[in-house]
Amino acid sequence: MTQNPSIGISQSRASTAGQDLVRIVRINEEIKSIVAVAFKINIMALNAIFLAKRAGTTALGFGVLSNELRVFSQDLKSAMGGLSGVIHEAVTEVSVVLKDQRLISLLNRAQEESGGNARVAAALELRQKQMVEHQSQLRAHRRQLKMVMENVAQLVELGGVLAKSAKIEAAYGQGFSNALGQVSGEFDGVVEDIRHSLVNLNKSEFFLQR
Amino acid sequence: MKATQCFYQDGEHKWVAIVRDPARPDCLIDTNEYLVSYNGSGLLLDPGGAEIFPAVFSALSAEFDPAALTGLFASHQDPDIISSLALWLEFNPKLPCYVSWLWASFIPHFGGSAETFVAIPDEGMEINLNGLNLQAIPAHYLHASGNFHLYDAKAKVLFSGDVGAALLPAKSDNLFVENFDAHIRHAEAFHRRWMGSNEAKRAWCERVSRLNIDMLCPQHGAIYQGADVERFINWFDGLRVGVAVG
Repeated sequence: MTQNPSIGISQSRASTAGQDLVRIVRINEEIKSIVAVAFKINIMALNAIFLAKRAGTTALGFGVLSNELRVFSQDLKSAMGGLSGVIHEAVTEVSVVLKDQRLISLLNRAQEESGGNARVAAALELRQKQMVEHQSQLRAHRRQLKMVMENVAQLVELGGVLAKSAKIEAAYGQGFSNALGQVSGEFDGVVEDIRHSLVNLNKSEFFLQR
Repeated sequence: MKATQCFYQDGEHKWVAIVRDPARPDCLIDTNEYLVSYNGSGLLLDPGGAEIFPAVFSALSAEFDPAALTGLFASHQDPDIISSLALWLEFNPKLPCYVSWLWASFIPHFGGSAETFVAIPDEGMEINLNGLNLQAIPAHYLHASGNFHLYDAKAKVLFSGDVGAALLPAKSDNLFVENFDAHIRHAEAFHRRWMGSNEAKRAWCERVSRLNIDMLCPQHGAIYQGADVERFINWFDGLRVGVAVG
């Protein structure tokens, strides 16, 4: 059997789309882990607010920052929810592209084996146009995902600043400074975890494609 | 590529079998597709799975203009029967697919829209192919719970889906059954396991015994012709089916 170059191209694109699906799944898993951390920050911040109340006037600043960290965790959760929405749309689009590619591959083989049929050629052309549109949609989702991630990164920077400030405030907590210091250290640690996850997300080859 | 063999012809009235693909991977069960053509229009019976679409399409093209296909007939819902539907619809989005009403909302998972499907009622129906009356004959539970065969009274040909199917050894490429006793050994286990109801089997045997059949064409294996048709019906009638070992 002769090799049809168009089949080769189609199969190579198919494997790219298949890899995209795997990459999106990994991104989604990372997002889920960040959402879990956001939930943890919320609980930690709630405990920190109670601790600050017990510490009284010496931990007023710490209390304000804990409250801000709680708001941060909610903002983060909501931003990650937005990311999940874009991910869902990207999965849909990748699946459609995979279907386009499978149909194109089989139609190409039919065209090759039948020696050429005008209606198959027309169906191929139409399906290829549709695939180009779907790939363009996928690129748009990729850009949107990248943009939302940049916004999340800025939000996480703010979280990092809040955690560092909480550390400083903890030092003024007098009798509670050890306890406050431990809590603020934990804040710093979990924000660092999120930053690490975001770095991983940004490294995904899904974003390296144009 | 699969081979085409015209096994009935009377002027512009033809039955063509699309069979035996030497390039078929072993993991795919071998299937027979059939084309009934009449006065330039064609109906493709059990058009096959998506993976074999290129082989079926190219073989069909060698014998018949695929643009003159006016419909698809699916005996039931299995992937080796109709998972190529999306590809046939790429070729001609207006192609109707005749299938049991039971599967009309299941098969769209392979492709097609509400307009694609012509739902066959349980009692069967006539399908007009450009002036040729074909009869969808009920064969429920043989093996699918909504299952039809297609009878052409003029050609005396019955397309019998999975009934009569034989899982033949590799290189058995005869279109017709040559030695019934040797052939039926390859059909027995299949029928015992796949056919789910002795009552349905008995009803089918009685129903088709009343038809005038020269050739009985299954979706797998070879075609029964002449005296082998009655031999097969009698053999099937006496077989205990719906039996799973273990």
